[in-house]
Amino acid sequence: MTHTLHRKGELGDLREDFIVFTMSAKTVNAKGSAHKMRRFFEILERYGSVNYGDMKTGSILSSQRTAIYEGIRDASIVHFAFTDKEAVKRVLGELKEAQLGTSVVVSGLVEVIDQLCRQVGLKMHTVEFSGGIHGRLGLLPERSILEITTMCGHGMVASSLVKEMVRQVGKGKKTIPEAALELAKPCQCGIFNPKRAEIVLERLINQPKISKGDRYESA
Amino acid sequence: MLHKRQGDKRAKPYAEIDLEECVECAVCLRAGVCPTDAIREQELPWPRVVRKAFSDPLYIHEGTGIPGRGTEEMKTNDVTGRYRDGYIGIGLEMGRPGIGARLGEVEKVIKRFVAMDIELEEHNPATQLIGNRDTGDFRSDILNEKVLSAIVEFTIPIERAKEVFCAVGEVAAEIETVFSMDLICKVAPDGEIPIIAELERAGFVRSINGKVNVGLGRPLYQR
Repeated sequence: MTHTLHRKGELGDLREDFIVFTMSAKTVNAKGSAHKMRRFFEILERYGSVNYGDMKTGSILSSQRTAIYEGIRDASIVHFAFTDKEAVKRVLGELKEAQLGTSVVVSGLVEVIDQLCRQVGLKMHTVEFSGGIHGRLGLLPERSILEITTMCGHGMVASSLVKEMVRQVGKGKKTIPEAALELAKPCQCGIFNPKRAEIVLERLINQPKISKGDRYESA
Repeated sequence: MLHKRQGDKRAKPYAEIDLEECVECAVCLRAGVCPTDAIREQELPWPRVVRKAFSDPLYIHEGTGIPGRGTEEMKTNDVTGRYRDGYIGIGLEMGRPGIGARLGEVEKVIKRFVAMDIELEEHNPATQLIGNRDTGDFRSDILNEKVLSAIVEFTIPIERAKEVFCAVGEVAAEIETVFSMDLICKVAPDGEIPIIAELERAGFVRSINGKVNVGLGRPLYQR
């Protein structure tokens, strides 16, 4: 599924939200690709990611580095989350040189990714946008809560958990970074960006009540 | 959180899973948050097991061979050539984000696109629920099952974009849940992204962020 698409947020927040992941194609180059993905892992772990993981084993916040690395199989999808576009640029440059042959996907602001690709001599091959949310929009939680929950595309971070974390921070039971890490744990793939969650939580906590006008309207 | 009464006394609070609304995503189980370790995964006979197939990202569909409820879609397009010049991929992720959808709602949308002679992605798990390929009808025993998300997925020639976007707007008004819309397009050799102009013509808004396949997969698909 499009698990790194549909991340909602303000432009300023999205500037510090990138996911880089790799996967092989079942019908083309999956056989024997596990060692290439381990090499991908070894490269990316040196660039200061804020989260990482593989769906089957879990993220670094719910599992261990060794378990994730050794659990990589031909059908794995290995993900790393970054806040720094310069790190993503260096990652892309090194992946280009490494010529692993597995497909590499970057999620983030498309205009920025295009620039980063050009700077290291790559060209965007295929792009996927979100065309927004449609239907009974009144069922959705407030937009600021969606900014946190949509960082897990599999929908494992519940809006009620966000509200609970806001409550616990408000009562002094958790700090904002602790609450952000708690929110990141259900995301099995390691694509939830806890640093960005801290920023949104801070905003939520500093507003006395979530405004009724804070509703989702468009992409 | 509920409170059982014991005579006139109010007992300790307890939590109860509403099985009618539960989509069997297993996140409560994995979270390990129950202080008495009372959360268990029940046996999931047909048709309830369909909930898990479309809600638990660790469940591997027999049809796709990958975890999650979608397909490889654009993630491996550099080697599979699934989305080619002149075509766009569309996905309607029913129930996303976080609301869920009854499969009857998914069927409603699928039937609309089958009626328009649009070929749905064969390997997509939602397509595999179709019992009647001529109408898009699902088998009747699954219609009330609730899932976290099921993707209605297809590829169309770009000339049909406006007609399809129009239908998307119409089905959005007819359903009882939400869906997130995916828009996939191969980048043209000159760097243009053709879907952008089509969206503007149809009055649709797209996100500024998205997913980019950077073309490092090998062997590169050649037409």
